[in-house]
Amino acid sequence: MNTKQINRRDFLKLGGLVPALALTNLGVSKGFSATLPASNRLKYAKETTSICSFCGGGCGQIVHTEGGKVVYVEGDPDHPVNQGSLCSKSNATYQIVNNERRLKKVLYRPAGGAQWEEKSVDWAVKEIAKRIKATRDSNFVTKDENGVTVNRAESLASIGGAALDNEECYLISKINRALGLVYFEHEARLCHSSTVAALGPSFGRGAMTNHWVDVKNADSILVIGANPVENHVVTARWITVAKEKGAKLIVCDPRFTRTAAISDLFIKHRAGTDIALIGWVINYCLENKLYHDEYVREYTNAPFLVKPEFGFNDGIFSGYDAAKRAYDSSTWDYQSEKACKHKDDCAQKGAIPTEAKCPICEAPVETVTKKDMTLNDPNSVFQLLKKHFGRYTADIVSQITGVPKDKLEELAKMYCESGKPEKTGTILYAMGATQHTVGTEYIRGYAVLQLLLGNMGMPGGGINAMRGESNVQGSTDMALLFNLLPGYLGVPNAKLHPTLQAYIDKETPKTSYWSNKPKFLISMLKAWWGDKAIKENGFCYDYLPKIGAGHKGGGYSWIALFEAMNDGKIKGLLNWGQNPAVSGPNSNLELNALGKLDWLVDVQLWETETADFWKRPGVNPVDIKTEVFVLPAAFALEKEGSITNSGRWIQWRYQAVNPPGDAKRDLWWIDRFYKELKALYLADKNAPFTDPIVNLNWNYGDEPDVHLVAKEINGYTTADKKQLANFTKLADDGSTACGIWIYSGFYPGPDKKDNKAAGRDKADPSGLGIFPNWTYAWPVNRRIIYNRCSADPKGNPYNPDKALVKWDGAKWITYDVPDFGWKDPKGDMIPPEKSAAAPYIMLPELHARLFATKGATKEGPFPEHYEPFESPVKNLLSSQQINPVVKIWDGDSNKRAEVGSKEYPIIGITFRLTEHWQSGIITRNLPWQAELMPEMFVEISPELASAKGIQNGEWVKVVSARGEVPARACITQRLSPYQVNGKKHEVVGMPWHYGFSGYATGGKDRSKNYAANQITAHIGDGNTMIPEYKVFLCDIRKM
Amino acid sequence: MPKGVLVDLSRCVGCRGCQVACKQWNQLPAEQTTWQGSYENPPDISPNTYTKVRFVEGNHREQFFWRFYKTQCKHCLEPACVSACLVKAMEKKPGGPVTYDEHRCMGCRYCMIACPFNTPKFEYDKAIPRIRKCQFCFDRQEVGRQPACVQTCPSGTLKFGERNELLDVAKIRIYKEPNKYVHHIYGEHEAGGTSWLYISDVPFEKLGFPTNIGTAPYPGLTKDFLYAVPIIFIAVPSLLLGISYIKNRRNEDK
Repeated sequence: MNTKQINRRDFLKLGGLVPALALTNLGVSKGFSATLPASNRLKYAKETTSICSFCGGGCGQIVHTEGGKVVYVEGDPDHPVNQGSLCSKSNATYQIVNNERRLKKVLYRPAGGAQWEEKSVDWAVKEIAKRIKATRDSNFVTKDENGVTVNRAESLASIGGAALDNEECYLISKINRALGLVYFEHEARLCHSSTVAALGPSFGRGAMTNHWVDVKNADSILVIGANPVENHVVTARWITVAKEKGAKLIVCDPRFTRTAAISDLFIKHRAGTDIALIGWVINYCLENKLYHDEYVREYTNAPFLVKPEFGFNDGIFSGYDAAKRAYDSSTWDYQSEKACKHKDDCAQKGAIPTEAKCPICEAPVETVTKKDMTLNDPNSVFQLLKKHFGRYTADIVSQITGVPKDKLEELAKMYCESGKPEKTGTILYAMGATQHTVGTEYIRGYAVLQLLLGNMGMPGGGINAMRGESNVQGSTDMALLFNLLPGYLGVPNAKLHPTLQAYIDKETPKTSYWSNKPKFLISMLKAWWGDKAIKENGFCYDYLPKIGAGHKGGGYSWIALFEAMNDGKIKGLLNWGQNPAVSGPNSNLELNALGKLDWLVDVQLWETETADFWKRPGVNPVDIKTEVFVLPAAFALEKEGSITNSGRWIQWRYQAVNPPGDAKRDLWWIDRFYKELKALYLADKNAPFTDPIVNLNWNYGDEPDVHLVAKEINGYTTADKKQLANFTKLADDGSTACGIWIYSGFYPGPDKKDNKAAGRDKADPSGLGIFPNWTYAWPVNRRIIYNRCSADPKGNPYNPDKALVKWDGAKWITYDVPDFGWKDPKGDMIPPEKSAAAPYIMLPELHARLFATKGATKEGPFPEHYEPFESPVKNLLSSQQINPVVKIWDGDSNKRAEVGSKEYPIIGITFRLTEHWQSGIITRNLPWQAELMPEMFVEISPELASAKGIQNGEWVKVVSARGEVPARACITQRLSPYQVNGKKHEVVGMPWHYGFSGYATGGKDRSKNYAANQITAHIGDGNTMIPEYKVFLCDIRKM
Repeated sequence: MPKGVLVDLSRCVGCRGCQVACKQWNQLPAEQTTWQGSYENPPDISPNTYTKVRFVEGNHREQFFWRFYKTQCKHCLEPACVSACLVKAMEKKPGGPVTYDEHRCMGCRYCMIACPFNTPKFEYDKAIPRIRKCQFCFDRQEVGRQPACVQTCPSGTLKFGERNELLDVAKIRIYKEPNKYVHHIYGEHEAGGTSWLYISDVPFEKLGFPTNIGTAPYPGLTKDFLYAVPIIFIAVPSLLLGISYIKNRRNEDK
């Protein structure tokens, strides 16, 4: 069959009749000129640099083009992260741009229609803008019940964006807020929202602390809740380098993975028990005094005294309200006293200041936190920590996790080696940690451990949240999330922040760099509403939507959004490249919810399961009344812009080829929508609250220029439109505009040559892999954040071979941008003692938090083990079975297996494969990737297989209380039952990449849905409502 | 000096970047595959798959292991396929690669029979069939590039260089970690020595490497056979054509 003659339309006509079997070569067109001798293949090709569009590694690519076609994509040998290497997916990038299945036309399905209709781009923009306006206006809440201007469009929702460029995400953030969207979510909620919720309160910022190359500097690498060599393959490169230097790789995972295959120590623990496991390591570290004593005393809140009212009993911290399933956290706070600055010296002289001035030093007396530098006070954080984790003994933890005691001992001993001052250990984690009902506390556990071992701020240390999409770091920074504004400013809340002043008063701490928050917010408002934003109108603060309690009091996050949609509250959905039909939890519920929409706009490279939801297996299209618009999007190689990798490097990509057919950049679609909407609103005098829309500062040219957007993100002076050097230049008087303060500095001049994201200087003066002028890292190009802690209080590096900053007696010698006060505004050096007292500049107490104080997290100051939402066993540590603060959603489609269920006795877990990416809709359309991993499977232990009479390769079904999924049996020793409290508990694991659309769906039978998330639950964590994808109860049955 | 590749199996993570990089550089179409009972796919190297990573689970020193090893033409120092080829379609280049010229090939498939590693594959389904196999990216090597699979390897498993120097690297690694590595460099002597060299922390026989290859170069073993070639020049091709016909039919039946 000559595949070039089949176009997408023909394929659609053939529909399910043509088995995928017949389409072997579909979409693979020959790239190289046949006439050239092989060795000359690339001689006449043009080279364009790019960044890989799969995981958050940010590997460099060189794209070779000839005659407007991509002929070859290879790893960029100069790029510090991957040095010319690429994983299988990245190699198959070639097939994304040379693929007949790519969308070339707008597709439209009318309500109840049975097939797609092709439409023009102009028609689509006009029709969609009309619907956005009608839906927004139909249920717009201008003022809430208290008369506060809230500007909420509650019938509209927006999802997706992690696969888009920063500039595109920024404009989505901007236009959505102007429209009044509060149901505004994307991939980051599902992958790393709990990361931000844990790392922010622990250290001050919510991102990966170090970066990929830095893994090479580690002495121990602890991989827990992650599978980096499969999902972030480039990590393998730096693990290899570290291991060559003698580093130990420890992998803790419920199943034996490809990462485990190269580990020095593998710990197989029951899914959902990581807090118990880490709690044990913390306990061992404290009991055996393996912690970094000076670090703990000087750089953490260990010596701080906590209010005596704080308590903990039977799994519950003080202040719990069972009816509300929430805490009053006022007791989770420090003791304070009145004292002068030189408290310790003056106190020794017997002075207890009660006056405004200290009688000894005459310095003003202030309220200060009480500390006990000996760490012996029973109310000190250190002693409370010891008490809390003293309960995590080897005996009980072995019972909970199923890990034998000798293995627990080996784990703790091996990793605590990194507590030696000159040694560093890094923790690498991803979705195996975040996607739990206690996801935030998992990561808090890592924070506590890393602080005790003094691994934060060190080369080869840190807590490294490995992010799964090429730009999910950037899209999170741009705040495509209901609870944030760009740059991690909290979103205004109607109750707490009715006015700008209230926002500033409540949200601005007196200490820490966040004391500059008003500058960040006001500069953002100036960037958004320009000359209209003036002091007198609160810089248009009222234009921002303010959140309320959300759907059924459960907020506006992903699960709430789909629950609201399922309840018919949301009528229109804009989807920027996400595929929730496969990736959403309890996906049958979410597919059903899509059918309650009036309209869905889906901007995609191909027909995804989400675009095709109305013709999914088991439904009749006529019954689904949702209008569907599918807009063809340009792929990364077909446009220009920046993306941010997991290590916070903002990296510029260039356009290599044109998009196919009518496919457009997302930037282009957003720009057209805005222009059309503005015209509609200017013409309608009766529409509610049109000011934020018609006054939006939007000047990016006829064909939107990505550089103009990038420059707005960086910020400029409002008077003379000069680019700002960085965020230290921001002001709160309206004289500066800046789209997102943390990015300020990446485009500090007017010309393309000023774009630091495009920097390609290969110099690495420290030899530590810092590469200071290769692209640009936020904040202000710091590569390893909290780097003050890499040196002792006197400024001597803890390991001279790994020096990031060093005080030579008169000045700081720096290999990375210091993350502390090192120079005063005049440029004079600040001696080390000052910064030693403020090593964590983003936290109000200026010290990292072993104890998370009030309001920091919802669950409590210390991580505590609770069982997953669905568990085969009772919690052995307390009578509190599950996280006491999670919201439990009810409804028929949210059924739950009870503890120790007979019907669903097996622990289920989901995972990813290196060959596919996320919901699989890209890689399942790439024949090379589909060849490697063609079908859905479920991994089961030989014991379980023989008990059930299942043969290897046989089709079986995995069933949960919510649904079922067909899969091939993969019988392997890599899984084995856990020995929990004297009983065996079986486990099965399955990839979640498959679905029902695309070149490969997961099986030959196209009338089936192969998505694993059909069986996961709609339950989220207590802080961010990240779904608990990673553990549930199920059964496995023969077909 | 001949080039080679050192494969350190203790580093391989089975990402299969090499498998797709090979397909991209050589513009090989995807195969239609189904689940094979393990992560491996396609089932074997083929005219459209020059390299394939095998996945092996087992136990060694009372520890479970999961190892991955890349298979492809080993590029023997004295290749049997070259000496078996009557029309010099197979050629051993001075730099190491064993290449194939489809314009010379007459389709006799002696090379397939001669190869101790069962590497060359024949396009049974094509009207004008060719032998297909890894050619060590000789076209890339000519312009100073590494083979596509080596360049793309993220984990540092594959190392390209002078074969002599790679042997030294291999020996140093084994010497430095004698308890970790098997004390053997596979390919140093097998079949008289190959350009591709393997070191491993799991015994090669446990991974399924052919360990009965011997250390004598294969052309020596086939010499007597080759003297008989003129005599059977007429008979064998017709026999092989017959086999080809039957195999072809079977292939279609599939």
